[in-house]
Amino acid sequence: MTQRLELPKGGFNFENYQRNVALEQQGLKLPTPTKTGTTVVGIIFKDGVVLGADTRSTAGSIVQDKNCDKIRYMAPNVYCCGAGTAADTQFTNSLICSQLELHRLATGRETRVCTALTLVKQMLFKYQGHVSAALILGGYDVTGPRLLAVAPHGSTDKLPYLVMGSGSYAAIAILENRWKKDLERQEAIDLVQEAIEAGIFNDLGSGSDVNITIIEKGKVDNIKGYARPNRREPKCRSYKFARGSTATLNLSAVTVTEGDAMDTS
Amino acid sequence: MECLFGLVGKDFAITVSDATSIQSIVVMKHTEDKSRNLNKHIIMLYAGEPGDTVNFAEYIQRNVRFYEIKNGIELSPQAAAKFTRRQVAESLRSRQPYSVNLLIAGYDVKTEASQLYWIDYLGSLIEIPFAAHGYGAYYVTSVLDRYYYPQISLDEAKVLIKKCIDELKTRFFINLSNFKIKVSNKDGIQEIVL
Amino acid sequence: MSSEIDEYNGGSVLAMLGKNCVAIASDKRFGMKLMTLGTEFPKIFQATDKIYIAMAGLATDIQTLSELIRYKINMYKLREEREIEPTTLAYMVASTLYERRFSPYYVSPLIAGLDKNNKPYICNMDLIGCVTTTNDFVVGGAADDCLLGTCEALYEPDLEPEDLFETISQSLISAVDRNAASGWGAVVHVLTPERVITRTLKTRQD
Repeated sequence: MTQRLELPKGGFNFENYQRNVALEQQGLKLPTPTKTGTTVVGIIFKDGVVLGADTRSTAGSIVQDKNCDKIRYMAPNVYCCGAGTAADTQFTNSLICSQLELHRLATGRETRVCTALTLVKQMLFKYQGHVSAALILGGYDVTGPRLLAVAPHGSTDKLPYLVMGSGSYAAIAILENRWKKDLERQEAIDLVQEAIEAGIFNDLGSGSDVNITIIEKGKVDNIKGYARPNRREPKCRSYKFARGSTATLNLSAVTVTEGDAMDTS
Repeated sequence: MECLFGLVGKDFAITVSDATSIQSIVVMKHTEDKSRNLNKHIIMLYAGEPGDTVNFAEYIQRNVRFYEIKNGIELSPQAAAKFTRRQVAESLRSRQPYSVNLLIAGYDVKTEASQLYWIDYLGSLIEIPFAAHGYGAYYVTSVLDRYYYPQISLDEAKVLIKKCIDELKTRFFINLSNFKIKVSNKDGIQEIVL
Repeated sequence: MSSEIDEYNGGSVLAMLGKNCVAIASDKRFGMKLMTLGTEFPKIFQATDKIYIAMAGLATDIQTLSELIRYKINMYKLREEREIEPTTLAYMVASTLYERRFSPYYVSPLIAGLDKNNKPYICNMDLIGCVTTTNDFVVGGAADDCLLGTCEALYEPDLEPEDLFETISQSLISAVDRNAASGWGAVVHVLTPERVITRTLKTRQD
């Protein structure tokens, strides 16, 4: 009667699969995971890489998060923009991120963007597109500025400017028109901002702010809300309820007693 | 098409199960007992896929008994219900899940109170004052909701059970002719006739 | 956002951030499709003195997952000899969900709590563990779209515990009254550095 619960050893667990198939056969519609919708872009300029992203995440037509962060840390000199199923991009990123950290500790060398790319593409190819993460990797390593992209099935691109997500059509139009070799830093930032804004305003899956990350030799600039074209007007009056508005049946209060602080000296 | 229901009163729990055994369109039996006693005070009613039900009920019955022999203590209705829920939930994740709906009722000798637990084939567990399974539940729950009150006495509970059965006999499209009624209180489990 | 699975057993959950406090609330319904069976179904679980988890979705999964999380929290406490932090717990739950990426538990969990510096924290996640941390409110369950609407209108930042209680309660009540699969009473916990105040709300019973 006593059962032992084992902590997971890693890898995916399929214990609910049969049950979920049975539920689906009953005709129950299953929930949809959160998607990032997304416009993400990356471009190479004269001495670095600029990554840009919007900040909306969606579940169907509902805006799940109005201000999420889609440009994530991978290594001190490598950042990553994600599009696709939000959980997949989040977990793929953190999984590879920790593998890179261990790799750096083992080799004592700075991470190369192509190392990150290889790890991601091997993982995504292994899962045959079922892990639906589409990533843009940008970084500056010994070979100079690098911009690479991985699609959910594991195919990769190496291009001077890249877009991904549902807003990619809007964004690529701007980049195709305006990108040129050896852009100045500010020109590059302006171009990325415009590309993301094209996504924000013309694609329903993308919205809110423009986040920008600039990666140069030995220097990373993370700018949250570089442009905020969609600020909500603050409420002019308060909707605060008078205390005692809500009818209650009973009340109980538990005093939180703090334990002795751990001696860490 | 089966119907199980029960309620808890002041110091007892009462359960009712229909005694009809049906195979496709044939009524095979009018005296089927769809319950098992898990110990001196706990009754378990079951309905669902024929074969699964008795097998599962006896598996639980024997494991509860085994636990009691091993540890020398009687399992409370809550403990038995939680154990049963987990078994359902785990079987649900196997290739051949049990399809069983259950009611577990009993008298807890330690707290001197009665409890009733409702468990469905998905492994959802709730403790409620009155509960029902099957199509009959649609009739029975509304009758119970109207007439039930906490601390109901055994005699009044019997009257209420009679009301539920009468309702099933007049409005339910299947003729459930016979019911088995059991009561669990501090003296143990008795089968009664109204 | 909410799907048919959310409506199978019904129920909704909600958490809000206040000034040095957080509130977490849920309705109390347990049903099977259109039939209400229980009106005392707990959807909020205490993780530590200062962290609560709420879950809406398929009842069997709420129960199985809450038991699994309780086990993991206890193991964490034994191994680390300290209480778990809200963010750590969030990622613990998220990893548990993402581990079942291809055979998920049908739940939408929320976490509300105060960290070791008593800084308030709330987050929610989807059924496969995509964590969304916000600085206002998070919702889940059958009435989640209604809840987003009411919260968006009624929420304002930096509310004191007493005012936060009114705002979260009214947001929840307004939303569940428009959702057939939720309601039948509600519970609200307000967490402050000093105490946890639990109130049961009086609501419609239909």
